[in-house]
Amino acid sequence: MFLEVNDVVAGYTKEVSILNGVQFAAEEGKVTVILGPNGAGKSTLLRTVYGYLKPRRGEVRFRGELLNGRRPSEMLRHGIAYLLQGHSVFPSMSVEENLELGAWIFGKDRQARARAIEDAYDHFPRLREKRRGAAGLLSGGEQRALEIARLVMTSPKLLLLDEPSVGLMPKLVDSVYEEIARLKDRKMTVVMVDQNVKKAVAIADQVYVLKLGANSYDGPQADFLLRMDEIVKGWL
Amino acid sequence: MDWSMLADPNILTVLVLQGLVRGAMYALMGIGLSLIFGILGVVNFAHGELFMLGSYVMYLVVGIFGMPFYLGIVAAAGVVFVCGVAIERGLVEQLRRRAGRDWISDSFVLTIGLAVVLQNLAHLAFGSRQYGVAELVAGSVPVGELEISLERLAIFGLACLAVLLLWAFMKFARTGRAIRAAAQNAEAAETLGIDVRNLFTVTFGLGAAFAGVAGALLISIYPASPTVGAEPLLKSFAVVVLGGLGNVSGAIAAGLLLGVLEAFTIFIAADGWQNVLTAYLVILVLLVRPAGLFVLGGKRA
Repeated sequence: MFLEVNDVVAGYTKEVSILNGVQFAAEEGKVTVILGPNGAGKSTLLRTVYGYLKPRRGEVRFRGELLNGRRPSEMLRHGIAYLLQGHSVFPSMSVEENLELGAWIFGKDRQARARAIEDAYDHFPRLREKRRGAAGLLSGGEQRALEIARLVMTSPKLLLLDEPSVGLMPKLVDSVYEEIARLKDRKMTVVMVDQNVKKAVAIADQVYVLKLGANSYDGPQADFLLRMDEIVKGWL
Repeated sequence: MDWSMLADPNILTVLVLQGLVRGAMYALMGIGLSLIFGILGVVNFAHGELFMLGSYVMYLVVGIFGMPFYLGIVAAAGVVFVCGVAIERGLVEQLRRRAGRDWISDSFVLTIGLAVVLQNLAHLAFGSRQYGVAELVAGSVPVGELEISLERLAIFGLACLAVLLLWAFMKFARTGRAIRAAAQNAEAAETLGIDVRNLFTVTFGLGAAFAGVAGALLISIYPASPTVGAEPLLKSFAVVVLGGLGNVSGAIAAGLLLGVLEAFTIFIAADGWQNVLTAYLVILVLLVRPAGLFVLGGKRA
């Protein structure tokens, strides 16, 4: 399996576990969506995969390699990118400086950095227009574009997205999902936590549902759509 | 007090220059404190002791070994940088790993304790005597019928140079850019592959080096002694409150402003009253603009 989470127990304090033996797998080149009511541990699962939390039990494997105990700052070099919940641009730095930092792992390789930044501009021409402006002054949609651009500029293999459409104007929400569907065309594997059940499932290949830190459902998109009413009932 | 003296341009010039020299030291101290707070969230109560270390290094290099004063300043910056790195890796980092979420309030106790330890170590090593260097640069420049010593001007110039170097580092160096990014959003910086832990260490070292440079530059005014850091520490707290906690450019502006205000206060009232004015200013700013004089919106101090 591309990404594998086996029987993971994790939490923020010693006394309380948020994840109680979660089982999860994501296939290469597919979009896997994790759904569930508030407090189900969806974001915690991503944070555990990315190394912000150490699993107390169980293991996280990426292409067969054990990730347990690795630090978040090592992940991008392993080909795993993580889109934080909410806005995460560096607001008082320029768009270009944000992209420069997105190319951080290229180190002193000036050419690789310049090429990655050019690619990002080609992909999001709006960012090129505003390259000298402070990132904090961009609109919500432009900031999200910058965040996604910054995330994919090193061509990671696996993207972890934590509620990519939350806090955006309704008319921008669709464009974010279109963008994610396009990432799939670029052979990136996506694991996405979302509250927006309909739109997330529309671009999903595989769907997981968590409840109270444990697996409640998993199946392919078509099966989820058939049983959606029954599965989603009782969340609200 | 003859107020008409304040209308004399020569007196005004000398007062402003004296104020800027004083302010440059406050700015250097405030920058260090602000850097460390802005990136790590730690209020460094041992900042005065880093000043003290800088002044002892200066004394050893210039006063004992007879080297030129600029070597003393470079040595002070280097030694105190290394001390800062050791403090961060050996103490602050360990606390952050072990104390969990409450580590910030625990770090207060850590740095206060460190200040006491460093003071007493200095006492053991050098005793309570004051060690100074008579004059770094001889001579003076005339300002009308008055004069201002070249040494004071050199102190001001070198402080400005240190600030300029920091600015260039933050603006153009890769590490400097990463430090700014981590100050704005440490978690996001980590997701880009930036090792924030190393940045914490570098930043603590840099902040410490600034205190060390301040201690070295001011050795002829504040001779090295175990408790020499107390006053600079107090002033640097005033500076970061006025300038906005964690705001480095605010610390520069507030430092210079405070220095000039104090120079005038000493002239108009008497030596000692500048401390009263500073305390009043701090209270006033906390009441009226708690985020700092030079902050639009922003976080509260």
